[in-house]
Amino acid sequence: MIKYTIKRLAQSLVTVAIVATIVFLLMRMLPTDYFFTEDQLMKLTPEQKTEQLEAAGLLDPMGEQLLRFYGQTIRLDFGQSRRIQSGVPVIRVIGDKFGISLRLGCIALIISLIVGVVLGIIQTLNKDHILDHVGTAYTIFVNAVPSLVSYSLVLVFGSKVLGLPPIYSTRNPGPSSIIPIACLTLASIASYALWTRRYMVDELNKDYIKLARIKGMSSKTIMVKHVFKNAFVPLVQYIPASFLYTISGSLLAERFFSVPGMGPLLTDAITRYDTNVVQTLSIIYASLGIIGVFLGDVLMMLVDPRIKLAGKGGTR
Amino acid sequence: MGKKNDELFRFVEYSAEAAERTGYSDYSYWKSVFQNFMKKKSAVVMAIIFFALVIFSFIALMIGKYNYSSLLTDSALAFQSPNGEFWFGTDNLGRDYWCQVWFAAQTSIKLALIVAIGECVLGVTIGCLWGYVRQLDRLLTELYNIINNIPMIIYMTLISLMVGQSFFIMSVAMICFGWLTMARNVRNLVLMYRDREYNLASRCLGTPVWRVLVKNIFPYLVSIVILRLALSIPSTIALESTLSYLGLGLGIDTPSLGILLRNARNYFLDYPYLLIFPAAIVSLITITFYLVGNAFSDAADPRNHV
Amino acid sequence: MKKAKKLAAVLLTAALAMGTLAGGGMVSSAEELNELWTFETSNRELENLIILNTEMANDLNVLCNTTEGLLETDSKGQLIPGIASEWGTEDGGLTWTFKLREGVKWVDWQGNEKGDVTAQDWITALEWVMNAKKNGANNTSMPTTLIAGAGDYYNYTKDLSDEEAYALDKTKFLEMVGIEAPDDYTLIYHCVSNAPYFDTVATSACLYPMAQGFIDEVGVENVLSTGIEGLWYNGPYTLTEFVQGNTKTLTKNPLYWDTEAKLFDNVVIRIIEDTTRGYELYDAGELDHTDLSEATLRQIYDDEGHKYHDQLVEKMPRKYSYQMKFNYSKMKDDGTPDDNWNKAVANENFRKSIYYGLNLVPYLARTNFINPLHCENNAYTMKGLLYFSDGTEYTARVAEKLGLPESDGENPRRYDPDLAAECKAKAMEELEAQGVTFPIQIDYYIIAGAQNALDSATVLKQIFEEGLGSDYVTLNIDTYVSSQTQEVIDPQLQSFVINGWGADYGDIQNYLGQETLGEDTAYYSMNYTNINDATDETLLATWQEYTDMVNAANAIVDDLDARYDAYADAEAYMLEHAMTIPMSLEVAWQLTKVNDYTRSNAMYGIQNYMYKNWDTSVDAYTTEQYAEFAEEYNK
Repeated sequence: MIKYTIKRLAQSLVTVAIVATIVFLLMRMLPTDYFFTEDQLMKLTPEQKTEQLEAAGLLDPMGEQLLRFYGQTIRLDFGQSRRIQSGVPVIRVIGDKFGISLRLGCIALIISLIVGVVLGIIQTLNKDHILDHVGTAYTIFVNAVPSLVSYSLVLVFGSKVLGLPPIYSTRNPGPSSIIPIACLTLASIASYALWTRRYMVDELNKDYIKLARIKGMSSKTIMVKHVFKNAFVPLVQYIPASFLYTISGSLLAERFFSVPGMGPLLTDAITRYDTNVVQTLSIIYASLGIIGVFLGDVLMMLVDPRIKLAGKGGTR
Repeated sequence: MGKKNDELFRFVEYSAEAAERTGYSDYSYWKSVFQNFMKKKSAVVMAIIFFALVIFSFIALMIGKYNYSSLLTDSALAFQSPNGEFWFGTDNLGRDYWCQVWFAAQTSIKLALIVAIGECVLGVTIGCLWGYVRQLDRLLTELYNIINNIPMIIYMTLISLMVGQSFFIMSVAMICFGWLTMARNVRNLVLMYRDREYNLASRCLGTPVWRVLVKNIFPYLVSIVILRLALSIPSTIALESTLSYLGLGLGIDTPSLGILLRNARNYFLDYPYLLIFPAAIVSLITITFYLVGNAFSDAADPRNHV
Repeated sequence: MKKAKKLAAVLLTAALAMGTLAGGGMVSSAEELNELWTFETSNRELENLIILNTEMANDLNVLCNTTEGLLETDSKGQLIPGIASEWGTEDGGLTWTFKLREGVKWVDWQGNEKGDVTAQDWITALEWVMNAKKNGANNTSMPTTLIAGAGDYYNYTKDLSDEEAYALDKTKFLEMVGIEAPDDYTLIYHCVSNAPYFDTVATSACLYPMAQGFIDEVGVENVLSTGIEGLWYNGPYTLTEFVQGNTKTLTKNPLYWDTEAKLFDNVVIRIIEDTTRGYELYDAGELDHTDLSEATLRQIYDDEGHKYHDQLVEKMPRKYSYQMKFNYSKMKDDGTPDDNWNKAVANENFRKSIYYGLNLVPYLARTNFINPLHCENNAYTMKGLLYFSDGTEYTARVAEKLGLPESDGENPRRYDPDLAAECKAKAMEELEAQGVTFPIQIDYYIIAGAQNALDSATVLKQIFEEGLGSDYVTLNIDTYVSSQTQEVIDPQLQSFVINGWGADYGDIQNYLGQETLGEDTAYYSMNYTNINDATDETLLATWQEYTDMVNAANAIVDDLDARYDAYADAEAYMLEHAMTIPMSLEVAWQLTKVNDYTRSNAMYGIQNYMYKNWDTSVDAYTTEQYAEFAEEYNK
């Protein structure tokens, strides 16, 4: 197990390195105009622009830039933000933001996991009855209406009817987080309910369940001991990743409610050519993604002893 | 001894006919799927409505009083609620909304279908290979990790900068980065079924890989694949509108439902009809695919067959 | 349905009341707000904290409150004393002397004293700006052209290593550059040549102060990364909160020199996604003013019974004068010259047909559908930039020279369909002889994904079709993804751009000098119009004539009225030959508790968002009140 973990980690490091390299190269393919603000574009002379690019090392040969980037990354020096918060170390920019995303995201995730899985179970227990249809209708509604629209609806309801603050405010973070969290849970409740129901119904159709029924096992025992446990296995795999992904925040929800989190950071950094921020974020996201999958595998193995990670060929 | 073995056992040349002969029965997989599907009345009704919608979008453009390509702006006519002249009202520039909505509906349906099918074909093919061919596992896992871990928006920015923006580019790009989830799901299922005894037996009998995949494993995939497919349609529409919001979407001459919804977001408190019409169509499309997808996925599960 | 509405209304009122309690000013001093809640959209977040290091409005609108310069601007856009109590020149603008107030303090973010503001702070600051390694060429353009030796110092530092440049003391700088401080409260600038407008430059970021004590405290290499808690402040406010992407709070500086000034206790600047959200917040009592999106404005305006119907007020124009600038050397996508367009645009009758033939009212209505003609622009220079000594506004003099008819209240003053038809007929005849094919393709580029830009472009396309006829021209709307400069301007693909120029300093030269022929300093000629690459001789002769007129005006330094009049001649010449097509001004509508007529309203400088001496009211102003303010203001 330990040997396997080390091997996996080494592989992951390679993956992260490749991702970082590709992102680095991709960013260098963008037009250098991004490097400047509108006003700088207007007011700097072409020579001054070239000097700026030179000073930032953007005109060096690509190999040299890449080596420098590796060197800095290994020393965990992610450089300074150029446009998001000019001159401020990237780590500080991200550090200020990720706590907020994490907090909102985790609350939303816990709520949606509990509500979603319970909803899925209720739907399965009442398959083809009224509660199942209500649940399905909700799932359909959430999926059918684009999120920008459903956010607007939640917002109107929350602020006009319940009198909640319409955007996130640092003065009263509690109440002003309610609407953003509600929006975040909206879609994930639906998806947890959908997949819980799907996997449980699949499980119900299996032969051993039929056998158990014939054997005279109570349907409660069947549900708890067999169906739910087995259906939960594929679901469990995605939970660690989902938790880790809350750090990256939600682009739409955070922008829509002015939450000062990680969500809009990547887009903003790309459009402002803030290469250091983009690269750091990519490394973080890639690591999170890989760790998430790994933890998912471990968790799945704990839940289902039949699954072995270290086994040849790997049946994860 | 070894010599004798060689004489006793030898591989038979594979023949599809011979294989069919032993397994012959009246049972046809797709026929059963179809029969089971037809039993779900709500899904059938929705499917019919969807086809009607597609057909109607063409009729609607023909019977509308205005032609999309020759719409005129008139500030005096802006924000007219639906009336006899403008069936869906007018937008902020006083242009007929009816033809815009139907034109956009066509674009969106076309895009969603192309992307969904593309993702499905690519995802299932790669997923099967990934799961079945051990040698490819490492390579594909690595590829998956890399593509999946580079934020989509970086690709989209670069593509639109270097290649341009059009319907074709958009759909290709979305397929290129959309097959991952499907492939991963398929791969996990294939792994589950790959080493079942009957497959082992099949392999021992010399059945080629493609045939094991298509005949023995694929039917188990169909139900999940279809569900994913059905869900990918609304997510394509949503992704398209997010990308348009960031300036990376379709060209300006191809309005989509996503774009109409994005614009309507600013108006809907004051002029709700601008949101309702496109939202209704999007919802209809999604619901159809959800119900049809679910019904079809149930019907496709071989265990539900008689 | 009705019931629900009622309930919503009750809750709304409650929320409004609560919001006012929490956010807006509590009603202590009878009427005025003592805390101002304002906003910026998310793409205009603060990026720099050092005022010398930025030229972006989104930074300067905040930082002009935390650092204060020599002079201020008042509600009419005139210079008034700031930290400099007296200033002037005795040699026609070659040497400028500023007398500073004593007792002005630098403070930290909590308002504790850090030091005295002296003339040395301006020397420190200019050294910082012109030091290529310290400030990265930001804010260098004006000092380079105006202050003796500044450009040389930049070039000198450019070739030093980072360490050397950081370590420089001011000896070399004072030797090379025309700035001196005979004592702590006198500051003298020496200009390259006569600059009768140099004092207006003192309201720009490039001539703002910076304390040596601050640099020593944080270390040279950390200046740009200092957070709000490490900065030194001398303006009316200090920054006490900065949550990127959400809130900035400016708090009154307790040691601010101008004890008479009317300041808010706090100014809270919130980030919102777009103006629609602003209206929601205003409605919830969480903002004290809001811009209005098209839909909201129309809804409120059309509904007589709307609670805000009587509170709609018009903003003052923003400082940008928008022009349609032709490209005289257009390329096709494949990089070969677009001869068809280049021949057409070189023809004066062609340009004139556009100048007279476009009825821009629907285009202007995009910004202001209630009074489109308030956005009408008939000059190249921004209205209100300068006044003659008799009080005549400069662009009014240009209009007079052009002989523009008085406005009839319906059509733009310039619009003349008959004349346009005449020009079109002549142009078609002349151009056909040169082998130009019709309709002439006009390529206009907008940013992809911006619905607002697309809507405006669509309207413009229709104006072209209706005004000029589709047999004559076709307007094609094309898009670029992110960088107009890189994707469109550099490869010279556009037929024209629509671009607004806001003045850097208070002189017409700053406008007209951007369009001259064969001069490196002419920004638009060098980058957008490509006039220097044109080959048509008549065209070049027209441009040369204009350039000569501008230079003649530049040379008049002792008599400002004569100088402005000469500029007005050049500008009138430019417009008569339709070298540029004036498009619009930005005059939008809002709901507000702020009396805009008491704010700084300068068409140059950075101080229009300095929250000083603003009149406000806890109840929103009404349309009527604003009409009175406007009348009073325009007296």
